[in-house]
Amino acid sequence: MDRRAAVFLIFAVMCALLVPVTDNEFRWVPIVTAVTYVLLALASVLDARSRNRSS
Amino acid sequence: MSLALIAVIGVALAFDFVNGFHDAANSIATVVSTRVLSPRMAVAWAAFFNFVAFLVFGTTVATTIAKGIVIPDSISLGVVFAGLLGAIGWSLITFYLGLPTSSSHALVGGMAGAAVAKAGWHVLESDGLRKIGVFIILSPLIGLALGMIFTVLIMWLFHRVRNVERLNRGFRTGQLVSAAAFSLGHGANDAQKTMGVILAVLIAEHEVPKTSGVPLWVVLSAHAAIGLGTLTGGWRIVKTMGTKITKLQPAGGVAAESAAAVTLFFTSAQGIPVSTTHTITGAIVGVGASRRLSAVRWGVAGRVVWAWVLTIPGAFVIAAATYGVVAVFN
Repeated sequence: MDRRAAVFLIFAVMCALLVPVTDNEFRWVPIVTAVTYVLLALASVLDARSRNRSS
Repeated sequence: MSLALIAVIGVALAFDFVNGFHDAANSIATVVSTRVLSPRMAVAWAAFFNFVAFLVFGTTVATTIAKGIVIPDSISLGVVFAGLLGAIGWSLITFYLGLPTSSSHALVGGMAGAAVAKAGWHVLESDGLRKIGVFIILSPLIGLALGMIFTVLIMWLFHRVRNVERLNRGFRTGQLVSAAAFSLGHGANDAQKTMGVILAVLIAEHEVPKTSGVPLWVVLSAHAAIGLGTLTGGWRIVKTMGTKITKLQPAGGVAAESAAAVTLFFTSAQGIPVSTTHTITGAIVGVGASRRLSAVRWGVAGRVVWAWVLTIPGAFVIAAATYGVVAVFN
């Protein structure tokens, strides 16, 4: 697996772990950040694949 | 107003000044490293926007600091004095070592340490500390994600442009705006922390009622102190932030500062005290990681993380020990 994607997934997990301890008012912040990191991980995997194909 | 109160307010403003030359260096690190402005001009630019931040943002962060770390009834002149000395002591140690730690979290650790030394662990405001703790972790992660997204957006928008020299000139101009925005966010979030400390001690000394907002003279003096601190500069840290974490081009500088500015605008508006250092470091790492992970010097980033982890306990211990000495003379 692409190393950058793995790091982003770790960040996503960290954000997800913060959700239960965050005040209701701000709970959406770690949720949105976690989802963003999952999307960045996905984009990173696709980027690595396209680089491998072109090289 | 007693002489002791004036002295403690003086120490609070000195902390703000130290914060200025310690943390505010982050505002200009990318501008200096991409050679958009000379160090002298960059410092003046950042100092100006640090100062005018009070015209844009409210004082909700100050309220969180004044009432959200420890129970207001536990705050006294001695607690604030010891808390500030703990924060200043820790900031100076990390400044000497050239580490971009957080003066803000040093302040939180210092206030908590002094109050606990005075009255025990029950004085800690768990809700406020939890909010601060969550955003200690979230703010660099948000900065990193936004830094990467902004970099990718810039690359996507301008990848067809052939005249790279002209494009770089455009981004150099853009960096003036993004650095100004970041300095504005820094002034808003960090100067408010000192305002919060002064408000807390004014309430403790019954100079203002418990429900009072931040007096205008406090707002102006806090912004003046952080602006003057910025003018004095913190070059050791500029070097770490601007060149050692990853090498930045003007477009990357715009992305990093914009990402950090957005994060600071949001947190300042919501009354959440965050570290500007954490935020801009995350954003710079995000810009580097958009190229490849190896573009980031993870060893330096790791040292920075260790400084973050140690900041609250370090300032806590120094402040608690200082309160022990203060209590002897009380």
